[in-house]
Amino acid sequence: MTTNDSLPLGSAASPAGFDRRKALKTIAAGAAAALATPYVRPASAAPTTLRALMWEVYAIPEVIKAFEDKHNVKFSPTFFDGNSEAYNKLRVGGTRDFDLVQADGFWPGLYYREKLIRAIDYAKIPNTAKVFPVFKPDRFKLLTDEATGKHFGVTWCWGSYGTTYNTAMMPKEKVQSIECLFDPEFSGRLATSARFEENIALAGILVATRMGTKDKPRPDGKPFNPYVLSDEELAGVEKLLIEQKKLLLTRYNDNNTLQQLLESGAIAAAPEFAQSYRVLLAKKAKGEIDADFAHQLIPKEGGLGWVDTWLVTSGVADGPMLTLCEQFMDMMLAPEIMKQQALIGGASTTIDIRSIATPEEQKLYLMDRTEELSDMYMFDQPSSTEKWERVWSRMQAA
Amino acid sequence: MRTRLAPWLTLGVPTVFLVALFVLPLLSMLVLSVWRTENYHIVQDWNLRNYWVLATDGAYATFLLRSIAMATAVSVICTAIAWPVAYGITLYGGRYKLLLTLGFAVPFLTGEVLRVIALQGLLGPVGLVNGVLMSLGAAPLRAIMYTNVASAIGLVYLYLPIVVTVIYLSLLNFDQRLLDAAKIFGASPARAFFEIAWPLNLFGTLIGFALCFIPCLSATLAPRFLGGPNGTLYGMAMAQQFGESGTWALGAAMGVVLFALSIAAVFVAFRTVDLRRTGFTGFGRG
Repeated sequence: MTTNDSLPLGSAASPAGFDRRKALKTIAAGAAAALATPYVRPASAAPTTLRALMWEVYAIPEVIKAFEDKHNVKFSPTFFDGNSEAYNKLRVGGTRDFDLVQADGFWPGLYYREKLIRAIDYAKIPNTAKVFPVFKPDRFKLLTDEATGKHFGVTWCWGSYGTTYNTAMMPKEKVQSIECLFDPEFSGRLATSARFEENIALAGILVATRMGTKDKPRPDGKPFNPYVLSDEELAGVEKLLIEQKKLLLTRYNDNNTLQQLLESGAIAAAPEFAQSYRVLLAKKAKGEIDADFAHQLIPKEGGLGWVDTWLVTSGVADGPMLTLCEQFMDMMLAPEIMKQQALIGGASTTIDIRSIATPEEQKLYLMDRTEELSDMYMFDQPSSTEKWERVWSRMQAA
Repeated sequence: MRTRLAPWLTLGVPTVFLVALFVLPLLSMLVLSVWRTENYHIVQDWNLRNYWVLATDGAYATFLLRSIAMATAVSVICTAIAWPVAYGITLYGGRYKLLLTLGFAVPFLTGEVLRVIALQGLLGPVGLVNGVLMSLGAAPLRAIMYTNVASAIGLVYLYLPIVVTVIYLSLLNFDQRLLDAAKIFGASPARAFFEIAWPLNLFGTLIGFALCFIPCLSATLAPRFLGGPNGTLYGMAMAQQFGESGTWALGAAMGVVLFALSIAAVFVAFRTVDLRRTGFTGFGRG
């Protein structure tokens, strides 16, 4: 038996040493390389796509288009509803799928500790210098790593979880306290959001105030944080939320519902991010509604605040992609873009845009009230999501 | 060759599909249910704590009981409405039978979220119903604004087309001449219906009931958008575990319990009914 006899049919080597098997291997390798080419790019190559995991409200088509045209890249956004959804996406390989991500409250710090996002250099994002003083890194600590002093995000829009109310249905002196949201006098004419963290945290401020534990030394040695409540305070919150449930018409899931509830007079007041309040004011200005609405930014017991941010994922290496991310963030923080964002998205900006805003816009977007943010408790991670979930479930079942 | 391949292809493909998209996710859910979560992290610590929480914390039992009551009420209402509708189409639909039945599928051309939100607009404080009432000087109907009644209306609206279609398909295979025969032998229309039409279409009715009951048990959207503060059902509470609270392991345990209960309900239903007397034709000729 010769060597050739042992080969399968059709596999005889050609005189040039190039047989069918080699040809097939070459074709397969070529095909695989061709298929993989779009996904295997050297880090130094100019990026063609910028992928962002973000809130939909911030994706303004004209702004995105201007960026795409200027940098000759495609902006590819993926939208999420809540931070936990974005967190899950990042944890299951999202750092390779996204270059930029948005978050608020404690989430950027959590992302950084878990190496889901990377440090950035503010010097490469000049517009960061235009933020209001309260958002400068020396005062706004949520985007700075305590140990290394490195920054890992830029501030974007901000807001509170204040109370919007119908001035004819609820007196101003009542709304200055969180108590108004638990007042039987307004039974059936109150609503709160369906967000469990903020409901518990807001009730936590009131409970700690009533118990006198808010200003006393805390078990963790830190100042009072409504997201870090003791078991006694949580028990008080559960009781309070169960009492409140009887007074609520509903827990709204979206701004449109809240706006309808307020507009129709079905409810007198509800805590919210002031977005519905701004829409109602705009309607009032156009003469579309008669009722007057006001917004209590911070109740006397203390209020909750949030700052949305832009972050760069850890999948972005130094080089052209990081530069593109920095350029994107810098463009988004440009005052004229931020103004556009405020008017369309309905949120207050962390960049000082007073010089290009009308007095009405300055009032509506709380541009002279940014300092009040320092008196608010920032959205944070519940000390134990498990314990908080039990409180919320028991309230819902009661 | 074709006869040997045909069973493998016709049964094999669905089996692979079921294993990949149903059995494996269910197994992963089972595994997750015996782990635990701690501040948005899954800890692979094997224990039955989640089941213990479900068994001992009354809140979850309340959600489950509420869901069972809601699913039963909605399924009974759907069946009660669907029977005369399907029967009417079968008897009087003439050449428009198919068109009339397909008409019930029209709402499915839009997404479930859209349908629930549309209903929220209809039943809400500035919705059509209350808008008309208030324009007539009457007080708004609070019973349909963010209550369990509103949830039930929403669920009936969502699942009625399915029940009508299933009962209609059952009636299509029912030989109407049996009713004529009963009447000829002196049975009243009511007796003919209850002794012939109903029992011989019981299998189809049960399928329709089950196809409404089981999704109602895990309903999320309707109670969330229509239910109000007292409207939290089991499915909504379960979705919460996978959403903002991030207590995925507890949610997985809730899912396993729901699955087991659904299977048990179907099993009990079919054990208590003699399929041979219900119009079921799946036993073959033997």
